[in-house]
Amino acid sequence: MFEKVLVANRGEIALRVIRACKELGIRTLAVYSEADVDSLHVQLADESICIGAAPSTESYLKIDRIMSAAEIGDVDAIHPGYGFLAENPHFAEVCESCNIKFIGPSSQAMQAMGDKNAARAAARKVGVPVTPGSDGIVETESDAIKIAKKIGYPVMIKASAGGGGRGMRVAHNEPSLQSAFHSARHEAEKAFANDQVYLEKLIINPHHVEFQIVADSHGHMVHLGERDCSIQRRNQKVIEECPSPLMTPSLRKKMGHAALKLAKSVGYENAGTIEFLVDQDRHFYFIEMNTRIQVEHTITEEVYGCDLVKEQIRIAAGEPLSEHVAHATPRLHAIECRINAEDPAKDFRPTPGRIEFYYAPGGRGVRIDSHVYTGYSVPSYYDSLIAKIITVGATRINAIDRMRRALDEYYITGIKTTVPFHAAIMRNGEFRAGNYDTGFIERVMSSGKLDLISPPIRLHE
Amino acid sequence: MEPKDIKEIKTIIDLMKKNELSVFEIEKEGFRLKLQRGSSGQAAAGALLPIAVPSKAATTAPEAASASPKPIESVPLKEIVSPMVGTFYRAASPDGSPFVDVGKTVTEETVVCIIEAMKVMNEIKAETSGVIAEIVVENGKPVQFGQVLFRIR
Repeated sequence: MFEKVLVANRGEIALRVIRACKELGIRTLAVYSEADVDSLHVQLADESICIGAAPSTESYLKIDRIMSAAEIGDVDAIHPGYGFLAENPHFAEVCESCNIKFIGPSSQAMQAMGDKNAARAAARKVGVPVTPGSDGIVETESDAIKIAKKIGYPVMIKASAGGGGRGMRVAHNEPSLQSAFHSARHEAEKAFANDQVYLEKLIINPHHVEFQIVADSHGHMVHLGERDCSIQRRNQKVIEECPSPLMTPSLRKKMGHAALKLAKSVGYENAGTIEFLVDQDRHFYFIEMNTRIQVEHTITEEVYGCDLVKEQIRIAAGEPLSEHVAHATPRLHAIECRINAEDPAKDFRPTPGRIEFYYAPGGRGVRIDSHVYTGYSVPSYYDSLIAKIITVGATRINAIDRMRRALDEYYITGIKTTVPFHAAIMRNGEFRAGNYDTGFIERVMSSGKLDLISPPIRLHE
Repeated sequence: MEPKDIKEIKTIIDLMKKNELSVFEIEKEGFRLKLQRGSSGQAAAGALLPIAVPSKAATTAPEAASASPKPIESVPLKEIVSPMVGTFYRAASPDGSPFVDVGKTVTEETVVCIIEAMKVMNEIKAETSGVIAEIVVENGKPVQFGQVLFRIR
């Protein structure tokens, strides 16, 4: 087992990794930017090293400084969290060449799945269904038009180097395809330094269902069921639940089998997630694979009774899959709401600033993964996620009602947060009935019928 | 020293404070006076420091000192901070002589130390000018981004 791990991340996931390490008796080294001096995870880590100025490009993305810190700190392994360098094959490679274990898949597996178009090809190769689309990169406008004619409008133009909801454009007909094709390539070049795009049929209002897989270095791989992440705003997930309301045992079997086949074909190790779209007729299509631990890993943990981050560390240290993970079965329902420092009344405008008072809910079946506290200043340099609240219940409705109850206790002042937005969704009829898809948030917001619900309490500050 | 002189000296001290001057020196027939605004460690901070004065002035100098105005704040020292993460070395090689010592005058281009990272020796320049007042980090110790390495007067 490792003696010391460097946590190459910040915020709630850095705290999550440190907690897992502490429970395993592993010493931790936190690297942080000047904006994160007062961060909770920095204080809880056994050692900490400042690696640069606030902007990510000057700190959390500086591979040389992180490796320098790893060298000084004499660490055995690095956990990259999610985002930042977590899916950077070059970083994984550097770790490998420095003999420091990267807690995740190999750089080759990461590379194979990181290129979204190559991942589609890998899926086709092993017979995993993909969304109808181009057979590879679309080079010219005329090619795009030909393919679109074949698969039928509307189509999506997607950047091969994109992912995570970025670098996508929709075209409903030929004239709009012509302009969208060129602007998509232009955007991709700017955002990812790679203008390669491919085409996919746009599936109207699908469910986004992803499968969690875990594999050790001894060839043993299992899936831990699915998560439904259809509740999204501008292609960013806001609410996730496990299991998916539209899942049936036979569909789960088919999709789980497909996920394992694909991950095995690239020799995947450690934790990863295979994302699918499921249409109204319960046809599923592979869209992309995330070669890292995800934000919403928490709900799988609650339903399948495991600690995925600890399992990541164990796997990286060469241990076989834990018994309880290898034979995990789903019990209970879990929901996660992502609490962001954003103002839902003002089009979710980011609200960095000082949290004047913070009181988190508790009680049975409530889990909070958060790095914030009273007096903490949310910096403006990074993403706006300040907390994840997860509730567990015997049934789906139990979990929803528990979330509704807990959100009414979640008292945060000084900045606006999305707590009132989530509180409203928990009361929404369509959501409660499980009748939603990726178009749900858009519909509910534009209908103007969503009344934000703030906690009814007023605490003495 | 006559009361008139003391008044003049007090005026000079006030002017020095107002204009943030740290040293004032004057030499007139038979009389030389140097006033220096104290930095830490100087017991006579803010007081008059007559260097060479006629005997008449010398006997009254202590009184002038005790009648000096309230202590003047010391001039803050400039800092050279680490631009990277690594190990701090004062010399180019284990048995080499240090790049700088306390008292050494540096310019922007003066190499003041080496920070080693991943087996690469990086020469760190002062990027400011002045005199080394303090070497803050011990040789061979790890440093982080932004950590103070030297203080410069």
